[in-house]
Amino acid sequence: MTFLAVVTRGLLRRPVRTGLTIVGISVGIAAVVALVGMSRGFETSWANGMKSRGTDVVVSNMGSALTPKPFSVSVVDRVKPLPHVAETCALLVDLISVEKADMMIVSSREWGGFSWKNLKVVSGRLPSDAKEKAVVLGTTAADTLQKKVGDTVQLETAELAVVGIVDGGAVVENGAVILSLPLYQEITGNRENINVIDVRVTPGTTKEEMSELCQKINAVAPEARAVVAGENIRNSQAYRIIRAMSWGTSLLAVLVGVLGVMNTMLMTVFERTQEICVLLAIGWKRVRIVRMILYESALLGLLGGVGGVLIGVVGVKLLVTAPIIRGLLEPDLNAALLGRAVAIAVFVGVLSGLYPAWRSSRLMPSQALHG
Amino acid sequence: MADSSADCVFEAVGLKKVYDDGQIQALRGVDFRIQAGEFVAIVGPSGSGKSTLLQMLGALDHPSAGTLLYRGASLAERADLSSYRAREVGFIFQAFHLLPAFTALENVQMPMFETPRCAAERKLRAVELLRAVGLEGRLHHFPAKLSGGERQRVAIARSLANGASVLLADEPTGNLDSESAGLIMDLIVRLHREQRITLILVTHDSGIARRAGRILEVRDGCIIADKLNIAGLSN
Repeated sequence: MTFLAVVTRGLLRRPVRTGLTIVGISVGIAAVVALVGMSRGFETSWANGMKSRGTDVVVSNMGSALTPKPFSVSVVDRVKPLPHVAETCALLVDLISVEKADMMIVSSREWGGFSWKNLKVVSGRLPSDAKEKAVVLGTTAADTLQKKVGDTVQLETAELAVVGIVDGGAVVENGAVILSLPLYQEITGNRENINVIDVRVTPGTTKEEMSELCQKINAVAPEARAVVAGENIRNSQAYRIIRAMSWGTSLLAVLVGVLGVMNTMLMTVFERTQEICVLLAIGWKRVRIVRMILYESALLGLLGGVGGVLIGVVGVKLLVTAPIIRGLLEPDLNAALLGRAVAIAVFVGVLSGLYPAWRSSRLMPSQALHG
Repeated sequence: MADSSADCVFEAVGLKKVYDDGQIQALRGVDFRIQAGEFVAIVGPSGSGKSTLLQMLGALDHPSAGTLLYRGASLAERADLSSYRAREVGFIFQAFHLLPAFTALENVQMPMFETPRCAAERKLRAVELLRAVGLEGRLHHFPAKLSGGERQRVAIARSLANGASVLLADEPTGNLDSESAGLIMDLIVRLHREQRITLILVTHDSGIARRAGRILEVRDGCIIADKLNIAGLSN
């Protein structure tokens, strides 16, 4: 019999309580995985969307809303002449309710801009010109809205023809309604404004040159902010709030897990007081008793962590199919996050076991003779 | 009473133990010596201080005053009391105190965790010990599936796991029927004789005490009689 077998047996003696404690930790860790994975997925989704549009630098004003603030289309003319700028594409991006979808990305793009070029037509075609009252739908958006080529879709007060279904190469692109910028400006009465400029740099531009370009854009266009693609969402106040809330909620869930493990381990120490005293009486060192309790609580944490990761991953996979967020984000459940979640669980286990272990180390072996 | 300093296992001088800030005086300054290989029965009424004395000998508790020497060295000054408990003395409790979640074989291995023996050696040693106490057919039984006598045999095997030279038994037959009690006492006495183990046994039972070579009678925290028992010595 190994020491690990002694530890495991300690947990198995109360299988229901051990199971419930593991479930408690699992729920906390699942919350960490789900919330943090979703908030990181928000960032990843937007970054992937930009990558699939072929964007190197994004000019936008990410305030406290989920979509950027509008600014004048004249900013494009100030950005275009700057060194290393190969192409620009002005966009007006919105997050609005479209028919049966509570929230859907509407991505209107400068007609002929490079952001159109990466769209692969799955069925139908792209709009024939900037003024055609037509949209194309990303594959997920078409599925969510249950539309096919030839149907119409209601955007605000306008009824637009669905002329094509496209694969945009990223979740946010596939979840979007895509149309020409002038058409959407006309529908929304927002004729002079855009809220994003996608910038493609000349081939061979280094990272340093891209950073310099961002500074130059910021100098000529103070109403917006240029950042290298992928970083813009990280600078968004809304995203920061989402990230802070996801970590905050996760920590609360983890705290509940801590209390659960501590309660279980304290009960264990109280219930096994005499056994612990017998172990001391037959020669076990106090440090071995402390190790036994800490290993038990760490094992609870490990099992809870693994369970939590499984629940979290499955939960998130189910969650992203929900109509309200379908096509808006792809969860970022990378190995580092999952590993960190398990590590948090083990740490929670050890932390929760410290007080019970300290209590057990103060027991006197003479108590073994009583009773 | 034997009196050779070289063979002295325990020597107590003015040993006292008080509880509750001196309100309870469990031991009031006792003096005695116990030689290697002796079988000493400690008798006396409930609350007389017998078990407290056994706790002091087993280093389960610290004396409040006085000196207790083990083989000439003060137990109080020993840094590694757990090592003393693991290797030098073996405990047999009235209530057996086996760990219910572990089989007989596993219970006997418990004290061996504090030795350099590997898992396979621990198991082998435990099998030998259980065979020696007649439980080779009960190795994988949990305590709840064993009779009282069998549980005490497991406890005896456990007490010998690390080759203790002193056995401390606190009412070892107190929870057994008379037949099982007789068998357990036969086993303990046999081990004492065959392995030349010093046996110190607390008991209420005058019949059991009469099997010892020496009887210490404790009353109100004092040793009121310390006499050789010729019948026990000759057995």
